[in-house]
Amino acid sequence: MILLRLISWPYVRKHLLRSILTTAGIALGVALLVGMRTANDSVLRSFNDTVDRIAGKAQLQVSAGDAGVAEDVLERVQAAPEVSAAAPVIETSVETGLAGQGKMLVLAVDMTGDRSLRNYDFDGGDEDVIDDPLVFLAQPDSLIITREFADRNGLRTGSKVSFETMEGARQFTVRGILKAGGMAAAFGGNLGIMDIYAAQQVFGRGRRFDRIDIGLAEGVSIEAGTAALQRALGGGYEIEPPSGRGKQFESLLRIYNTAVSISSLFSLFIGMFIIYNSFAIAVTQRRAEIGILRALGATRGQIRALFLGESAVAGLIGSTAGLGAGLAFARSLTGVTGRLMENIFGVPQNAQEVSLDPRFLVGALALGVVVSMIAAYIPARSAARVEPVQALQKGRYQVLGAGENRARRWAAAACVALGLACLWAGAYRPLAFAGYSLTVAAMLLLAPFLSLELARALRGPLRRFKPIEGSLAVDSLIQAPRRTSATVAALMLSLALVIGQGGVARASYESIRGWVDTTLNPDLFITATENIASRGFRFPASMIPEVTKLPAIEETQPVRTARVQFRGKPVMLVAIDMESLGRRVRRIVVAGNIEEMNRRSAAGQAVILAENLANLEHLGLGDMVEIPTPRGGLRLPVAGVIRDYSNQLGSIFLDRKVYIREFQDDTVDLFRVYLRPGVAPEEGRRQIIEGLGSRRRMFVLLNRDVRDYVLGLTNQWLGMTRIQVIVAVLVAVLGIVNTLTVSISDRRRELGVLRAVGGLRAQIRGAVWLEAAAIGAIGLVLGLSAGAVVLYYELQVIQRDVGGMPLAYIYPLGVAATLIPIILGAALAAAIVPAEAAVRSSLVEALEYE
Amino acid sequence: MSERCIRRFGGALLLPLLIAPVLAQDARQIVEESQRRGRANSQRYEGSLEVTGANGKVSRKSWNYVRTGSYGNSKAIIRFTSPAEVKGVALLIVNHPDRASDQWMWTPAIGRDRRIALQDRSTRFFGTDFSFEDLEERDVDQYDYSMQGEEAVDGAPCWKIESRPRKGKTSQYTRSVVWIRKDNYVAARYENYIKDALARRLRQSRIENIQGIWTPRLLEMTDLRRNSRTALSFEKLEYNVPMNDNDFTVQALRREQ
Amino acid sequence: MIRLNGVSKQFDGKRKVVALDSVDLDVARGELVSIVGPSGSGKSTLLNLIGGLDRPSSGKIEIDGRDVASLSDDDLTRLRRDKIGFIFQFFNLLPSLTCVENVALPLHLKGLPRKEIESRARDLLELVQLGTRMDHLPDELSGGERQRVAIARALAFNPPILLADEPTGNLDTHTGAEILRLIHDLHDRLGATVLIVTHDSGVAQSCPRTVTLRDARIAGDARR
Repeated sequence: MILLRLISWPYVRKHLLRSILTTAGIALGVALLVGMRTANDSVLRSFNDTVDRIAGKAQLQVSAGDAGVAEDVLERVQAAPEVSAAAPVIETSVETGLAGQGKMLVLAVDMTGDRSLRNYDFDGGDEDVIDDPLVFLAQPDSLIITREFADRNGLRTGSKVSFETMEGARQFTVRGILKAGGMAAAFGGNLGIMDIYAAQQVFGRGRRFDRIDIGLAEGVSIEAGTAALQRALGGGYEIEPPSGRGKQFESLLRIYNTAVSISSLFSLFIGMFIIYNSFAIAVTQRRAEIGILRALGATRGQIRALFLGESAVAGLIGSTAGLGAGLAFARSLTGVTGRLMENIFGVPQNAQEVSLDPRFLVGALALGVVVSMIAAYIPARSAARVEPVQALQKGRYQVLGAGENRARRWAAAACVALGLACLWAGAYRPLAFAGYSLTVAAMLLLAPFLSLELARALRGPLRRFKPIEGSLAVDSLIQAPRRTSATVAALMLSLALVIGQGGVARASYESIRGWVDTTLNPDLFITATENIASRGFRFPASMIPEVTKLPAIEETQPVRTARVQFRGKPVMLVAIDMESLGRRVRRIVVAGNIEEMNRRSAAGQAVILAENLANLEHLGLGDMVEIPTPRGGLRLPVAGVIRDYSNQLGSIFLDRKVYIREFQDDTVDLFRVYLRPGVAPEEGRRQIIEGLGSRRRMFVLLNRDVRDYVLGLTNQWLGMTRIQVIVAVLVAVLGIVNTLTVSISDRRRELGVLRAVGGLRAQIRGAVWLEAAAIGAIGLVLGLSAGAVVLYYELQVIQRDVGGMPLAYIYPLGVAATLIPIILGAALAAAIVPAEAAVRSSLVEALEYE
Repeated sequence: MSERCIRRFGGALLLPLLIAPVLAQDARQIVEESQRRGRANSQRYEGSLEVTGANGKVSRKSWNYVRTGSYGNSKAIIRFTSPAEVKGVALLIVNHPDRASDQWMWTPAIGRDRRIALQDRSTRFFGTDFSFEDLEERDVDQYDYSMQGEEAVDGAPCWKIESRPRKGKTSQYTRSVVWIRKDNYVAARYENYIKDALARRLRQSRIENIQGIWTPRLLEMTDLRRNSRTALSFEKLEYNVPMNDNDFTVQALRREQ
Repeated sequence: MIRLNGVSKQFDGKRKVVALDSVDLDVARGELVSIVGPSGSGKSTLLNLIGGLDRPSSGKIEIDGRDVASLSDDDLTRLRRDKIGFIFQFFNLLPSLTCVENVALPLHLKGLPRKEIESRARDLLELVQLGTRMDHLPDELSGGERQRVAIARALAFNPPILLADEPTGNLDTHTGAEILRLIHDLHDRLGATVLIVTHDSGVAQSCPRTVTLRDARIAGDARR
């Protein structure tokens, strides 16, 4: 410790800017990791918190995916002797229309029986603050709100609140106010309670509930209760403790979480290079100091410990700063992530609070420290190996030995070979990741050699461009490959990441657009919510003839999409008239015969799978798909596999007749509407709204709107991963600044001599700028090439592990073209401060022998 | 759970007792006789309700009531007539001798009927000071009775009888005291205790002889914990009116009257 | 105290350089020896080998009865720390540390208690007559004063052997003489074995024994 204070601290103080830049690398990586993870956790935590709070004393919940449960199920549940209380629930979210209040989670219950499960702690200490229970039940506009929400919006008993329902915007009357805390804190206090039968009507549930909450009789265990209910109800129902909903949501979040984690770790990896680079440089610069220490009796262990200690402190400071920044970042990101999740998965979110997981935070802190120490390990080891005699001699620097270079090349070749072998070895997931890692390793091993060669290649052109500045710049690179190679490697890695992400984004976008073009071909869509993914509102079956009979309409396809549990994962069940769909949509067939799959699925004898589901679950033609349904379970063979991007966890298409029969649910989420030839979409929309819109809440979307929506959402999703790319570039730029600062302080004497013999300030400045530009250019060449490889692997990983969707390999030339000016610009910007420092340093001081 | 809750609405509270010779001075026999005298095959009245909260706020409701069927097997319909917010809301109560009664509610504004799931008998009856238990018909066998002496209520001599729920029988009350008039066997007052504290007091007055059945036409329930009271009065009371069984179904509930 | 037996040292670079060629040398405890010779004759190499900063290519070196070849790197380092004090031509002070801190550095490396270190460092600086400059940075001192600090540092453990590589080489004549007096004085007072590598014949002549190196061999060993 004393050595850290005596030896390291003065060095850090002297190179403050560089030290800050070095720790900034770790700080950014940790900030990103903490920010993204915390935001995701907060969304999940707030979801779970809401689930917990509104579950009350319920021990089990009976549901059937999005299909809901019929009313008679309630009686069957109540009849079970293991059940002490059973209360039906409808849960949905609505826009409050109050400025700044966002969404309200509406919990609809049967107030006459619900108190045995939930504690409605009404304001005023007693229930009579539901002004009049009979009025509450009698009037469908009755609403109970929380004290917090009431105070925020100046509402009292009797106030009116309006929100969108199936019947258009409707006014609700506040007939009760829940005391703060407990259930009232669910969904950030934006909780509304209404009568369940009124909710069936205003939210289009028909005679169904979303689920039934259950309290078990005394002495009945959760397991026994579950088993008893399973016996009483038969298959097709999910009987789970309330926490099961959190797990389902978590599995929806999983893909997003994976993407976020990978990129955060990648940027931490790049941060590691910055640390490595800084320490390698520091060891070179401090060789004399190390020599003195060794001469005075410092052991190798002491020298190594000194540098590792420095890196640990740097890591600690960096990760602490990163932690702070990450939490600040999470604050603004939580809402954004919540909204994105809501838009994509249709699960209402109101995450406001950032929730902290102390274990994760400590872990992130430790990760930062460990990463920093790992990065410093090699420099620390070479510091320990410094021979005191050589170190005490002035002016001799280590150069990269020819042998070392050769060894690296051999190792790189081995990595490439192994990587290729892994690739050929096939679909086994760890092998794919191993191949990826090996390839990255090969690129890193080759980076010093390649950057040296590229620097040599650059010498000619640069000298022709500016004879003095050019050769100064390039020679600096060639003479001290150690100084630049880590920076180049970091730059290369981050650019490769950008290209990889850009390519994935581009490929996803292209694939989705292709799918949108072929599949989303109806002229109009009628939905119950602005958000197509949300299934909080539904249309009754009785609306189908009303739509069909409009003169402008040639054909309409009612669609019901319901999330159901399939092999433990929440996949999307798409119920639609398969005959009509087969006729109208030219689907991209991956497996199977198009006529046959249309015929068999239309006849209700088979299902069609989305390609991603087939890939993820290894399902093929003829395989049986089993879906639990209230009727006891559906078992149908796969007649075809088609390309479909409607759901990330995969979709199962089946005929609407089968769905209605199996789930006893004839509601509709979405109408796909085909107009008669010659009818303008706007005219069709006018007719629908005039014909039906006055009675119902509905949104009639033009084909264009839906396309824009889907593609916009795709962009939004990809945008979240883009944040990491920005950070990666930032980290690489830090590396350039770092390297240049060192390069200039190393060559102070050289630059001083140059000025002493008549070099102009502009020439010195030019040399520094050219050096920066050369590093940028080398990094670009290597990074853009490495990106081509990284992209290939990323597509493989996504296809095999995450999305199950094959994406076309398209090199993102546009991204590459934008990166060139960005990186060169960033390199030049990074050179400004070091160049000025070089120009303004005192000549006498520079020439003085240290 | 919801066994006999509403039954009492047309039961002991509303069916006062006939004058009869005092055959037995035994407490239990007096209570039994009091119940027996109140029985009728059917009943109809127009009720009005006035709830006065602790803060002095008064809310009023009125309804029509019809009941048919024998004791323990009766069916009743309550249909609210005012105020406007609850007009048309109807309750159907079907009692079964061997199991819990079934209850449905029709809410015209929502346009559908619903089963009422009552899971706690101590819950207040739709915002009044009566709990569902208070409206139940008391099964004589569920309590132990003891004579506490004689006391006059509003000048009328009464037997003062204490009842306690038998072991294994649940009630929100620890004990109750009823004052039964010696002249007509009508209960003039109830006092219900939770632990040692008086929780609710019911006064029955305006006792009139209607078609040979002595009937109190004003019931005043005071909840001493909440400091609020509910007054219930009956108009156009008739007994033994011919009724059609088909009018006591969920389908009939939907038909506006 | 110091015994060299057939010690050779060659550097393998692009050209092979023989820096020492089978040198035999015995220095008894308490001797004060100057080593002279032209540039490149192997003076510094000899000193580095004796100081355990470097190892010989062949031959045997014994310091205080221990065979250097048999020691591990860490043991050699400890030997150096505890038994040998170095005085360099360019002082090799750490510019960021004050005089006291520079002197205290080897004591810290040994891990002595902090209080003891502080008082010992101050005593040592008093010894070299720098009691008034304790908390100055090396940059604020004259060349002679810097060398005194370096000497104080070399004496941190009261080492039986003191090795000085051109201790006056970077100083003016007057200061050089002062430093030389100090070394003599310390030799007399502490009884340490002292080896001084020097160009300066004046310095050499002030020592009772002078070893002359030429072309990597010992060309003369004169006692006075």
